[in-house]
Amino acid sequence: MNNNDEKIRFDAIVVGAGLAGSAAAMVMARAGLNVALIERGQKAGGKNYFGGAIYTHAIGEVLPDYMERKPPFERPVTEAGFWFLSKDGGLTRMTVQGGKLANEPADAYMASRAVFDVWWAEQAQKAGALLIPKTSVVDVIWDGEQVVGVKTDRAQGDVYAPVVIVCEGVNNLLTQKLGLIDHDLEPAHMALAFKQVIALPMDTINARFGLPDDQHGLAVSVLGDVSLGLPGMGFVYTNKTSVSVGLGVMLDAVVEYKLKPYEILQRYLRHPAIAPLVKGGQLMEYGAHLIPEGGYRDMPKLYTGGAMVAGDAASMVNALHWEGTNMAIVAGELAGETAVAAHQRGDFSAQSLSQYEARLKDRFILQDMKQYRNFAHFLETHPTFMDAYPGFVNDALGQFFSAYGMPKKTLFKNILGSLTSRRQLMKAVGDILSMGRAVMGW
Amino acid sequence: MKTGDAFSVKTLPQELQESLPDVYVDDLLVSLKYFIDEEQSHLKIKDHAVCARCEHKPCIDFCPVGVYSLAHDGKIQVAYQACVECGSCRVGCPYKNIEWTLPRGGFGVAYKFG
Repeated sequence: MNNNDEKIRFDAIVVGAGLAGSAAAMVMARAGLNVALIERGQKAGGKNYFGGAIYTHAIGEVLPDYMERKPPFERPVTEAGFWFLSKDGGLTRMTVQGGKLANEPADAYMASRAVFDVWWAEQAQKAGALLIPKTSVVDVIWDGEQVVGVKTDRAQGDVYAPVVIVCEGVNNLLTQKLGLIDHDLEPAHMALAFKQVIALPMDTINARFGLPDDQHGLAVSVLGDVSLGLPGMGFVYTNKTSVSVGLGVMLDAVVEYKLKPYEILQRYLRHPAIAPLVKGGQLMEYGAHLIPEGGYRDMPKLYTGGAMVAGDAASMVNALHWEGTNMAIVAGELAGETAVAAHQRGDFSAQSLSQYEARLKDRFILQDMKQYRNFAHFLETHPTFMDAYPGFVNDALGQFFSAYGMPKKTLFKNILGSLTSRRQLMKAVGDILSMGRAVMGW
Repeated sequence: MKTGDAFSVKTLPQELQESLPDVYVDDLLVSLKYFIDEEQSHLKIKDHAVCARCEHKPCIDFCPVGVYSLAHDGKIQVAYQACVECGSCRVGCPYKNIEWTLPRGGFGVAYKFG
Protein backbone atom coordinates (compact mmCIF):
# COMPACT_ATOMS: atom_id res chain seq x y z
CA MET A 1 0.00 0.00 0.00
CA ASN A 2 1.12 3.50 -0.77
CA ASN A 3 1.55 5.89 2.04
CA ASN A 4 -1.67 7.90 1.84
CA ASP A 5 0.10 11.15 2.56
CA GLU A 6 2.13 10.93 -0.64
CA LYS A 7 -0.93 10.94 -2.87
CA ILE A 8 -2.18 14.10 -4.51
CA ARG A 9 -5.67 14.49 -3.10
CA PHE A 10 -8.60 16.74 -3.81
CA ASP A 11 -12.22 16.72 -2.70
CA ALA A 12 -13.30 16.47 -6.32
CA ILE A 13 -11.78 16.14 -9.79
CA VAL A 14 -13.32 17.52 -12.96
CA VAL A 15 -12.01 16.24 -16.29
CA GLY A 16 -12.29 18.91 -18.97
CA ALA A 17 -12.59 22.68 -18.52
CA GLY A 18 -15.37 23.18 -21.04
CA LEU A 19 -18.86 24.47 -20.36
CA ALA A 20 -19.95 21.51 -18.23
CA GLY A 21 -16.64 21.07 -16.42
CA SER A 22 -16.11 24.65 -15.32
CA ALA A 23 -19.77 24.88 -14.22
CA ALA A 24 -19.31 21.80 -12.04
CA ALA A 25 -16.02 23.12 -10.65
CA MET A 26 -17.59 26.52 -9.89
CA VAL A 27 -20.48 25.03 -7.93
CA MET A 28 -18.23 22.71 -5.90
CA ALA A 29 -15.53 25.29 -5.18
CA ARG A 30 -18.16 27.77 -4.00
CA ALA A 31 -19.40 25.15 -1.54
CA GLY A 32 -15.88 24.98 -0.12
CA LEU A 33 -14.62 21.84 -1.84
CA ASN A 34 -11.01 21.58 -2.94
CA VAL A 35 -11.43 21.06 -6.71
CA ALA A 36 -8.95 20.06 -9.43
CA LEU A 37 -10.13 21.13 -12.89
CA ILE A 38 -7.97 19.21 -15.36
CA GLU A 39 -7.73 20.42 -18.96
CA ARG A 40 -5.72 18.80 -21.75
CA GLY A 41 -5.42 21.95 -23.86
CA GLN A 42 -2.97 24.80 -23.39
CA LYS A 43 -5.97 26.77 -22.17
CA ALA A 44 -9.60 26.03 -21.38
CA GLY A 45 -11.60 25.84 -24.60
CA GLY A 46 -8.55 25.30 -26.79
CA LYS A 47 -10.00 22.03 -28.10
CA ASN A 48 -13.55 23.27 -28.36
CA TYR A 49 -15.41 24.25 -31.44
CA PHE A 50 -19.02 25.13 -32.10
CA GLY A 51 -21.29 27.25 -34.32
CA GLY A 52 -22.27 29.17 -32.38
CA ALA A 53 -24.23 30.84 -29.70
CA ILE A 54 -24.41 30.47 -25.93
CA TYR A 55 -27.66 30.68 -23.98
CA THR A 56 -27.67 33.05 -21.05
CA HIS A 57 -30.38 31.23 -19.09
CA ALA A 58 -27.81 28.53 -18.35
CA ILE A 59 -24.94 30.93 -17.65
CA GLY A 60 -27.16 32.98 -15.32
CA GLU A 61 -28.30 29.91 -13.44
CA VAL A 62 -24.72 29.06 -12.44
CA LEU A 63 -23.47 32.65 -12.25
CA PRO A 64 -26.29 35.13 -11.57
CA ASP A 65 -24.01 38.20 -11.81
CA TYR A 66 -22.42 37.05 -15.07
CA MET A 67 -22.96 40.35 -16.90
CA GLU A 68 -20.98 42.26 -14.26
CA ARG A 69 -18.11 39.83 -14.78
CA LYS A 70 -17.83 40.95 -18.40
CA PRO A 71 -18.20 37.76 -20.39
CA PRO A 72 -16.34 37.93 -23.73
CA PHE A 73 -19.49 37.62 -25.81
CA GLU A 74 -19.63 38.57 -29.44
CA ARG A 75 -22.91 40.02 -30.74
CA PRO A 76 -26.23 39.20 -29.08
CA VAL A 77 -28.59 37.08 -31.16
CA THR A 78 -31.20 39.68 -32.14
CA GLU A 79 -32.32 37.93 -35.32
CA ALA A 80 -32.66 34.17 -35.63
CA GLY A 81 -34.29 31.67 -37.90
CA PHE A 82 -33.85 29.72 -41.10
CA TRP A 83 -32.48 30.45 -44.52
CA PHE A 84 -33.35 28.22 -47.43
CA LEU A 85 -30.91 28.10 -50.32
CA SER A 86 -32.21 26.95 -53.68
CA LYS A 87 -30.23 25.20 -56.37
CA ASP A 88 -30.69 28.10 -58.78
CA GLY A 89 -29.05 30.54 -56.36
CA GLY A 90 -32.16 31.75 -54.56
CA LEU A 91 -32.50 32.55 -50.90
CA THR A 92 -35.64 32.46 -48.77
CA ARG A 93 -35.29 33.97 -45.31
CA MET A 94 -37.54 33.03 -42.44
CA THR A 95 -36.22 34.88 -39.43
CA VAL A 96 -37.61 36.57 -36.37
CA GLN A 97 -36.37 39.76 -34.73
CA GLY A 98 -37.62 42.03 -31.99
CA GLY A 99 -39.95 40.64 -29.32
CA LYS A 100 -38.07 38.31 -27.02
CA LEU A 101 -34.98 38.71 -29.16
CA ALA A 102 -34.74 42.36 -28.07
CA ASN A 103 -34.28 41.35 -24.41
CA GLU A 104 -31.28 42.70 -22.53
CA PRO A 105 -29.19 40.86 -21.68
CA ALA A 106 -30.05 38.74 -24.69
CA ASP A 107 -31.25 35.16 -24.47
CA ALA A 108 -28.22 34.10 -26.48
CA TYR A 109 -24.91 35.56 -27.60
CA MET A 110 -22.52 34.60 -30.34
CA ALA A 111 -19.20 33.51 -28.87
CA SER A 112 -15.84 31.94 -29.66
CA ARG A 113 -15.33 28.90 -27.47
CA ALA A 114 -11.55 29.34 -27.32
CA VAL A 115 -12.19 32.77 -25.79
CA PHE A 116 -15.40 32.21 -23.86
CA ASP A 117 -14.26 29.00 -22.14
CA VAL A 118 -11.16 30.74 -20.79
CA TRP A 119 -13.40 33.29 -19.06
CA TRP A 120 -15.79 30.56 -17.89
CA ALA A 121 -12.91 28.58 -16.34
CA GLU A 122 -11.64 31.80 -14.71
CA GLN A 123 -14.95 32.06 -12.87
CA ALA A 124 -14.33 28.56 -11.49
CA GLN A 125 -10.81 29.61 -10.51
CA LYS A 126 -12.15 32.74 -8.79
CA ALA A 127 -14.46 30.49 -6.80
CA GLY A 128 -11.38 28.58 -5.67
CA ALA A 129 -10.96 25.68 -8.14
CA LEU A 130 -7.45 24.80 -9.25
CA LEU A 131 -7.17 24.74 -13.05
CA ILE A 132 -4.53 22.25 -14.20
CA PRO A 133 -3.99 22.79 -17.95
CA LYS A 134 -1.81 20.86 -20.44
CA THR A 135 -2.72 17.60 -18.73
CA SER A 136 -4.48 14.69 -20.41
CA VAL A 137 -6.42 12.25 -18.27
CA VAL A 138 -5.75 8.77 -19.64
CA ASP A 139 -7.63 6.53 -17.23
CA VAL A 140 -9.59 6.33 -14.01
CA ILE A 141 -8.36 4.74 -10.79
CA TRP A 142 -10.63 2.18 -9.17
CA ASP A 143 -10.87 0.81 -5.67
CA GLY A 144 -13.23 -2.10 -6.13
CA GLU A 145 -16.53 -0.74 -7.46
CA GLN A 146 -15.58 2.80 -6.64
CA VAL A 147 -13.73 5.40 -8.72
CA VAL A 148 -11.17 7.08 -6.47
CA GLY A 149 -9.14 9.20 -8.89
CA VAL A 150 -7.64 9.63 -12.35
CA LYS A 151 -4.38 8.83 -14.10
CA THR A 152 -2.90 11.72 -16.05
CA ASP A 153 -0.05 11.73 -18.54
CA ARG A 154 2.18 13.70 -16.17
CA ALA A 155 5.02 12.07 -14.26
CA GLN A 156 3.63 10.89 -10.90
CA GLY A 157 0.37 12.04 -12.41
CA ASP A 158 -2.18 10.07 -10.38
CA VAL A 159 -4.67 12.39 -8.72
CA TYR A 160 -7.14 11.17 -6.11
CA ALA A 161 -10.59 12.37 -5.06
CA PRO A 162 -13.70 10.61 -3.81
CA VAL A 163 -15.71 12.00 -6.73
CA VAL A 164 -14.75 12.53 -10.38
CA ILE A 165 -16.95 14.45 -12.84
CA VAL A 166 -16.12 13.52 -16.43
CA CYS A 167 -16.77 16.30 -18.94
CA GLU A 168 -14.43 15.01 -21.61
CA GLY A 169 -16.48 15.93 -24.66
CA VAL A 170 -17.73 13.93 -27.60
CA ASN A 171 -14.80 11.50 -27.73
CA ASN A 172 -16.00 9.57 -24.72
CA LEU A 173 -12.92 7.46 -23.96
CA LEU A 174 -13.15 7.79 -20.17
CA THR A 175 -16.91 7.32 -20.16
CA GLN A 176 -16.27 3.98 -21.85
CA LYS A 177 -13.52 3.14 -19.36
CA LEU A 178 -15.99 3.89 -16.58
CA GLY A 179 -18.25 1.21 -18.09
CA LEU A 180 -21.07 3.76 -18.48
CA ILE A 181 -21.39 2.92 -22.17
CA ASP A 182 -19.99 -0.14 -23.87
CA HIS A 183 -19.53 1.06 -27.43
CA ASP A 184 -18.42 3.95 -29.61
CA LEU A 185 -21.26 6.07 -30.93
CA GLU A 186 -22.41 5.14 -34.45
CA PRO A 187 -21.31 7.42 -37.31
CA ALA A 188 -25.01 7.63 -38.23
CA HIS A 189 -25.64 9.30 -34.87
CA MET A 190 -22.93 11.93 -35.12
CA ALA A 191 -22.74 15.09 -37.17
CA LEU A 192 -19.37 16.14 -38.48
CA ALA A 193 -19.45 19.91 -38.23
CA PHE A 194 -16.91 22.17 -39.87
CA LYS A 195 -16.74 25.88 -40.45
CA GLN A 196 -14.64 28.85 -41.36
CA VAL A 197 -14.30 31.95 -39.24
CA ILE A 198 -13.98 34.77 -41.75
CA ALA A 199 -12.85 38.23 -40.72
CA LEU A 200 -14.70 41.26 -42.09
CA PRO A 201 -14.86 44.87 -40.92
CA MET A 202 -17.68 45.56 -38.47
CA ASP A 203 -19.39 48.05 -40.79
CA THR A 204 -19.27 45.56 -43.65
CA ILE A 205 -20.96 42.92 -41.50
CA ASN A 206 -23.59 45.41 -40.39
CA ALA A 207 -24.33 46.45 -43.97
CA ARG A 208 -24.33 42.97 -45.49
CA PHE A 209 -26.54 41.42 -42.82
CA GLY A 210 -28.80 44.42 -42.28
CA LEU A 211 -27.70 44.98 -38.70
CA PRO A 212 -27.76 48.52 -37.26
CA ASP A 213 -24.62 48.08 -35.14
CA ASP A 214 -22.46 45.50 -33.37
CA GLN A 215 -25.06 45.15 -30.62
CA HIS A 216 -27.24 43.34 -33.14
CA GLY A 217 -26.45 39.92 -34.53
CA LEU A 218 -27.89 37.24 -36.75
CA ALA A 219 -27.86 33.49 -36.14
CA VAL A 220 -29.45 31.26 -38.76
CA SER A 221 -29.69 27.61 -39.66
CA VAL A 222 -29.31 27.19 -43.40
CA LEU A 223 -31.23 24.49 -45.24
CA GLY A 224 -31.60 23.44 -48.83
CA ASP A 225 -28.70 23.49 -51.29
CA VAL A 226 -26.12 23.18 -48.53
CA SER A 227 -25.35 19.56 -47.73
CA LEU A 228 -25.63 17.90 -51.16
CA GLY A 229 -29.02 16.46 -50.33
CA LEU A 230 -27.51 14.52 -47.45
CA PRO A 231 -28.79 14.82 -43.88
CA GLY A 232 -27.20 18.01 -42.67
CA MET A 233 -27.65 21.69 -42.06
CA GLY A 234 -25.64 24.85 -42.51
CA PHE A 235 -25.30 27.84 -40.24
CA VAL A 236 -24.26 31.48 -40.29
CA TYR A 237 -23.37 33.38 -37.13
CA THR A 238 -22.29 37.00 -37.05
CA ASN A 239 -19.56 37.94 -34.60
CA LYS A 240 -18.38 41.51 -34.08
CA THR A 241 -15.68 41.50 -36.74
CA SER A 242 -16.04 38.04 -38.23
CA VAL A 243 -18.67 35.62 -39.42
CA SER A 244 -18.80 31.89 -38.73
CA VAL A 245 -20.08 29.96 -41.71
CA GLY A 246 -20.19 26.21 -41.70
CA LEU A 247 -22.30 23.12 -41.74
CA GLY A 248 -22.84 19.78 -40.12
CA VAL A 249 -23.41 16.59 -42.10
CA MET A 250 -24.09 13.19 -40.59
CA LEU A 251 -20.74 11.40 -40.39
CA ASP A 252 -21.93 8.15 -41.98
CA ALA A 253 -22.92 10.08 -45.11
CA VAL A 254 -19.55 11.87 -45.29
CA VAL A 255 -17.79 8.49 -44.99
CA GLU A 256 -20.01 6.51 -47.34
CA TYR A 257 -20.00 9.13 -50.08
CA LYS A 258 -16.25 9.63 -49.65
CA LEU A 259 -16.71 13.38 -49.35
CA LYS A 260 -14.08 15.91 -48.41
CA PRO A 261 -15.67 18.18 -45.80
CA TYR A 262 -13.67 21.21 -46.91
CA GLU A 263 -15.01 20.82 -50.45
CA ILE A 264 -18.61 20.72 -49.21
CA LEU A 265 -17.88 23.86 -47.20
CA GLN A 266 -16.25 25.64 -50.14
CA ARG A 267 -19.23 24.79 -52.33
CA TYR A 268 -21.54 26.28 -49.71
CA LEU A 269 -19.41 29.41 -49.42
CA ARG A 270 -19.67 29.85 -53.20
CA HIS A 271 -23.47 29.67 -53.27
CA PRO A 272 -24.74 32.89 -54.89
CA ALA A 273 -26.63 33.78 -51.72
CA ILE A 274 -23.63 33.22 -49.41
CA ALA A 275 -20.64 34.35 -51.50
CA PRO A 276 -21.49 38.10 -51.40
CA LEU A 277 -21.77 37.92 -47.62
CA VAL A 278 -18.21 36.68 -47.13
CA LYS A 279 -16.61 38.35 -50.16
CA GLY A 280 -13.22 39.89 -49.43
CA GLY A 281 -13.11 38.33 -45.98
CA GLN A 282 -9.97 36.78 -44.57
CA LEU A 283 -9.92 33.21 -43.29
CA MET A 284 -9.12 33.37 -39.59
CA GLU A 285 -9.68 29.74 -38.69
CA TYR A 286 -10.94 26.52 -40.17
CA GLY A 287 -11.78 23.58 -37.96
CA ALA A 288 -14.00 20.59 -37.35
CA HIS A 289 -15.74 18.84 -34.49
CA LEU A 290 -18.16 15.99 -33.95
CA ILE A 291 -21.60 16.53 -32.44
CA PRO A 292 -23.27 13.58 -30.71
CA GLU A 293 -26.77 13.74 -32.14
CA GLY A 294 -28.01 10.28 -31.22
CA GLY A 295 -30.14 11.70 -28.43
CA TYR A 296 -31.60 9.92 -25.45
CA ARG A 297 -30.97 6.42 -26.78
CA ASP A 298 -27.24 7.14 -27.06
CA MET A 299 -26.89 8.53 -23.56
CA PRO A 300 -24.60 6.54 -21.29
CA LYS A 301 -25.48 5.61 -17.76
CA LEU A 302 -24.82 8.92 -16.03
CA TYR A 303 -23.07 7.82 -12.84
CA THR A 304 -21.27 5.03 -11.11
CA GLY A 305 -19.60 4.77 -7.72
CA GLY A 306 -17.46 7.92 -7.39
CA ALA A 307 -18.07 9.29 -10.88
CA MET A 308 -20.58 11.21 -13.00
CA VAL A 309 -20.59 12.28 -16.65
CA ALA A 310 -21.96 15.50 -18.19
CA GLY A 311 -22.13 17.39 -21.50
CA ASP A 312 -21.23 16.00 -24.93
CA ALA A 313 -19.66 12.94 -23.29
CA ALA A 314 -23.20 12.08 -22.20
CA SER A 315 -24.74 12.98 -25.61
CA MET A 316 -26.60 15.90 -24.04
CA VAL A 317 -27.50 17.51 -27.35
CA ASN A 318 -30.90 18.38 -28.77
CA ALA A 319 -30.08 18.28 -32.47
CA LEU A 320 -33.36 19.73 -33.69
CA HIS A 321 -33.01 22.88 -31.58
CA TRP A 322 -29.24 23.15 -31.78
CA GLU A 323 -29.07 22.98 -28.00
CA GLY A 324 -26.12 21.48 -26.22
CA THR A 325 -24.14 24.25 -24.58
CA ASN A 326 -27.01 25.05 -22.24
CA MET A 327 -27.52 21.41 -21.33
CA ALA A 328 -23.80 21.01 -20.66
CA ILE A 329 -23.75 23.99 -18.30
CA VAL A 330 -26.82 22.95 -16.33
CA ALA A 331 -25.76 19.28 -16.21
CA GLY A 332 -22.34 20.36 -14.92
CA GLU A 333 -24.07 22.43 -12.27
CA LEU A 334 -26.30 19.53 -11.21
CA ALA A 335 -23.36 17.11 -11.09
CA GLY A 336 -21.49 19.64 -8.94
CA GLU A 337 -24.45 19.99 -6.58
CA THR A 338 -24.71 16.22 -6.34
CA ALA A 339 -21.01 15.99 -5.42
CA VAL A 340 -21.46 18.64 -2.74
CA ALA A 341 -24.40 16.72 -1.27
CA ALA A 342 -22.37 13.50 -1.41
CA HIS A 343 -19.61 15.19 0.58
CA GLN A 344 -22.15 16.31 3.18
CA ARG A 345 -23.35 12.74 3.50
CA GLY A 346 -19.84 11.30 3.23
CA ASP A 347 -21.29 8.81 0.75
CA PHE A 348 -19.95 8.59 -2.81
CA SER A 349 -21.55 5.29 -3.76
CA ALA A 350 -23.48 4.86 -6.98
CA GLN A 351 -26.63 4.94 -4.86
CA SER A 352 -25.66 8.34 -3.46
CA LEU A 353 -24.69 9.79 -6.86
CA SER A 354 -27.92 8.54 -8.44
CA GLN A 355 -29.26 11.87 -7.16
CA TYR A 356 -27.59 13.40 -10.24
CA GLU A 357 -29.94 11.56 -12.56
CA ALA A 358 -32.92 12.50 -10.40
CA ARG A 359 -31.90 16.16 -10.64
CA LEU A 360 -31.55 15.91 -14.44
CA LYS A 361 -35.03 14.36 -14.62
CA ASP A 362 -36.46 17.33 -12.76
CA ARG A 363 -35.11 19.68 -15.38
CA PHE A 364 -35.44 20.27 -19.11
CA ILE A 365 -32.38 18.17 -19.81
CA LEU A 366 -33.65 14.63 -19.33
CA GLN A 367 -37.22 15.71 -20.04
CA ASP A 368 -36.28 17.10 -23.47
CA MET A 369 -33.87 14.30 -24.23
CA LYS A 370 -36.62 11.81 -23.54
CA GLN A 371 -39.25 13.77 -25.42
CA TYR A 372 -37.05 13.84 -28.53
CA ARG A 373 -35.79 10.29 -28.12
CA ASN A 374 -37.09 9.20 -31.54
CA PHE A 375 -35.90 12.22 -33.49
CA ALA A 376 -32.44 10.89 -34.33
CA HIS A 377 -34.05 7.73 -35.62
CA PHE A 378 -36.53 9.79 -37.60
CA LEU A 379 -33.75 11.60 -39.45
CA GLU A 380 -31.94 8.33 -40.03
CA THR A 381 -35.02 6.79 -41.62
CA HIS A 382 -36.02 9.95 -43.52
CA PRO A 383 -32.72 10.94 -45.13
CA THR A 384 -34.37 13.21 -47.71
CA PHE A 385 -36.23 15.22 -45.10
CA MET A 386 -33.62 17.96 -44.91
CA ASP A 387 -33.48 18.26 -48.69
CA ALA A 388 -36.97 17.89 -50.12
CA TYR A 389 -38.86 20.39 -47.96
CA PRO A 390 -36.38 23.29 -48.01
CA GLY A 391 -36.31 22.93 -51.79
CA PHE A 392 -40.10 23.06 -51.81
CA VAL A 393 -40.24 26.19 -49.65
CA ASN A 394 -38.00 28.02 -52.10
CA ASP A 395 -39.97 26.89 -55.11
CA ALA A 396 -43.31 27.61 -53.54
CA LEU A 397 -42.47 31.13 -52.42
CA GLY A 398 -40.60 31.84 -55.64
CA GLN A 399 -43.65 30.91 -57.67
CA PHE A 400 -46.14 32.56 -55.33
CA PHE A 401 -44.53 35.97 -55.78
CA SER A 402 -43.85 35.76 -59.48
CA ALA A 403 -46.29 36.92 -62.12
CA TYR A 404 -46.12 34.29 -64.80
CA GLY A 405 -49.18 35.48 -66.67
CA MET A 406 -50.91 32.26 -65.74
CA PRO A 407 -54.18 31.67 -63.94
CA LYS A 408 -53.70 31.34 -60.19
CA LYS A 409 -55.32 27.92 -60.29
CA THR A 410 -52.43 26.77 -62.47
CA LEU A 411 -49.96 28.48 -60.11
CA PHE A 412 -51.21 26.54 -57.10
CA LYS A 413 -51.24 23.37 -59.12
CA ASN A 414 -47.59 24.03 -59.97
CA ILE A 415 -46.72 24.66 -56.35
CA LEU A 416 -48.37 21.43 -55.34
CA GLY A 417 -46.51 19.76 -58.19
CA SER A 418 -43.28 21.14 -56.85
CA LEU A 419 -43.95 19.36 -53.58
CA THR A 420 -45.14 16.10 -55.07
CA SER A 421 -42.21 15.91 -57.47
CA ARG A 422 -40.01 15.83 -54.38
CA ARG A 423 -42.11 13.68 -52.18
CA GLN A 424 -45.37 11.89 -52.80
CA LEU A 425 -48.14 13.73 -51.05
CA MET A 426 -49.06 10.77 -48.88
CA LYS A 427 -45.43 10.37 -47.90
CA ALA A 428 -45.26 14.06 -47.06
CA VAL A 429 -48.22 13.63 -44.74
CA GLY A 430 -46.49 10.55 -43.33
CA ASP A 431 -43.30 12.58 -42.75
CA ILE A 432 -45.22 15.16 -40.78
CA LEU A 433 -46.87 12.48 -38.68
CA SER A 434 -43.65 10.64 -37.93
CA MET A 435 -41.87 13.92 -37.21
CA GLY A 436 -44.71 14.69 -34.81
CA ARG A 437 -44.35 11.29 -33.23
CA ALA A 438 -40.60 11.75 -32.91
CA VAL A 439 -40.75 15.22 -31.42
CA MET A 440 -44.11 15.60 -29.74
CA GLY A 441 -44.64 11.96 -28.84
CA TRP A 442 -47.92 11.74 -30.86
CA MET B 1 -23.24 2.42 -42.15
CA LYS B 2 -21.97 -1.09 -42.77
CA THR B 3 -18.54 -1.84 -41.38
CA GLY B 4 -15.66 -4.16 -42.12
CA ASP B 5 -15.70 -5.99 -45.44
CA ALA B 6 -19.41 -5.17 -45.78
CA PHE B 7 -18.61 -1.46 -46.10
CA SER B 8 -19.65 -0.05 -49.44
CA VAL B 9 -19.61 3.41 -50.92
CA LYS B 10 -22.45 5.44 -52.38
CA THR B 11 -22.28 7.95 -55.17
CA LEU B 12 -23.88 11.35 -55.49
CA PRO B 13 -25.77 12.31 -58.63
CA GLN B 14 -23.16 13.34 -61.19
CA GLU B 15 -24.31 16.96 -61.28
CA LEU B 16 -23.82 17.31 -57.53
CA GLN B 17 -20.49 15.51 -57.55
CA GLU B 18 -19.23 17.86 -60.24
CA SER B 19 -20.43 20.89 -58.30
CA LEU B 20 -17.81 20.21 -55.62
CA PRO B 21 -14.82 22.51 -56.06
CA ASP B 22 -11.24 21.30 -55.68
CA VAL B 23 -9.80 22.60 -52.43
CA TYR B 24 -6.19 22.39 -51.34
CA VAL B 25 -6.61 21.60 -47.66
CA ASP B 26 -3.23 23.05 -46.70
CA ASP B 27 -4.61 26.49 -47.60
CA LEU B 28 -7.05 25.99 -44.72
CA LEU B 29 -4.61 24.40 -42.28
CA VAL B 30 -2.38 27.48 -42.26
CA SER B 31 -5.18 29.20 -40.32
CA LEU B 32 -4.80 26.71 -37.46
CA LYS B 33 -2.48 26.89 -34.50
CA TYR B 34 -0.86 23.68 -33.26
CA PHE B 35 1.54 22.64 -30.53
CA ILE B 36 3.10 19.71 -32.32
CA ASP B 37 4.38 16.73 -30.35
CA GLU B 38 7.56 15.96 -32.28
CA GLU B 39 8.19 12.78 -30.31
CA GLN B 40 5.06 10.72 -30.66
CA SER B 41 1.90 10.40 -32.72
CA HIS B 42 -1.43 10.09 -30.95
CA LEU B 43 -2.86 8.33 -34.03
CA LYS B 44 -1.72 4.89 -35.10
CA ILE B 45 -2.85 2.44 -37.73
CA LYS B 46 -3.53 -0.74 -35.78
CA ASP B 47 -2.77 -3.09 -38.66
CA HIS B 48 -1.57 -1.96 -42.09
CA ALA B 49 -2.73 -5.26 -43.58
CA VAL B 50 -6.30 -4.20 -42.79
CA CYS B 51 -5.83 -0.90 -44.67
CA ALA B 52 -4.39 -2.85 -47.58
CA ARG B 53 -7.55 -4.94 -47.65
CA CYS B 54 -9.80 -1.87 -47.31
CA GLU B 55 -11.05 -1.31 -50.84
CA HIS B 56 -12.33 2.26 -50.56
CA LYS B 57 -10.03 3.87 -47.96
CA PRO B 58 -12.63 6.54 -47.09
CA CYS B 59 -10.38 8.09 -44.41
CA ILE B 60 -8.38 9.74 -47.19
CA ASP B 61 -11.48 11.77 -48.02
CA PHE B 62 -13.60 12.16 -44.90
CA CYS B 63 -10.91 13.40 -42.52
CA PRO B 64 -11.71 17.13 -42.39
CA VAL B 65 -8.04 18.09 -42.29
CA GLY B 66 -6.61 15.46 -44.64
CA VAL B 67 -4.53 13.58 -42.07
CA TYR B 68 -4.65 10.33 -44.08
CA SER B 69 -3.07 9.87 -47.49
CA LEU B 70 -1.69 7.09 -49.61
CA ALA B 71 2.10 6.83 -49.61
CA HIS B 72 4.13 5.73 -52.63
CA ASP B 73 4.43 2.24 -51.17
CA GLY B 74 0.64 1.98 -51.05
CA LYS B 75 0.46 2.28 -47.27
CA ILE B 76 -1.77 4.77 -45.50
CA GLN B 77 0.37 7.49 -43.99
CA VAL B 78 -0.78 9.51 -41.02
CA ALA B 79 0.04 13.23 -40.80
CA TYR B 80 -1.00 13.40 -37.15
CA GLN B 81 0.47 16.90 -36.90
CA ALA B 82 -2.57 18.28 -38.78
CA CYS B 83 -5.12 16.48 -36.61
CA VAL B 84 -7.82 18.62 -34.97
CA GLU B 85 -8.83 15.73 -32.69
CA CYS B 86 -12.42 15.64 -33.93
CA GLY B 87 -12.62 11.84 -33.66
CA SER B 88 -14.19 11.23 -37.10
CA CYS B 89 -11.60 8.57 -37.95
CA ARG B 90 -11.98 6.95 -34.54
CA VAL B 91 -15.62 6.10 -35.24
CA GLY B 92 -15.70 6.46 -39.04
CA CYS B 93 -12.99 3.99 -40.09
CA PRO B 94 -15.07 1.06 -41.40
CA TYR B 95 -12.60 -1.39 -39.84
CA LYS B 96 -12.06 0.54 -36.58
CA ASN B 97 -8.40 0.24 -37.50
CA ILE B 98 -7.21 3.50 -35.98
CA GLU B 99 -5.86 3.63 -32.47
CA TRP B 100 -7.02 7.07 -31.41
CA THR B 101 -5.66 8.53 -28.22
CA LEU B 102 -5.49 12.06 -26.87
CA PRO B 103 -2.34 13.99 -27.68
CA ARG B 104 -0.16 14.41 -24.62
CA GLY B 105 -1.30 17.27 -22.42
CA GLY B 106 -0.75 20.66 -24.03
CA PHE B 107 -0.06 19.26 -27.51
CA GLY B 108 -2.24 19.17 -30.58
CA VAL B 109 -4.59 21.74 -32.00
CA ALA B 110 -5.04 25.00 -30.09
CA TYR B 111 -8.09 26.78 -31.44
CA LYS B 112 -7.87 30.58 -31.33
CA PHE B 113 -11.58 31.13 -31.97
CA GLY B 114 -13.36 27.78 -31.86
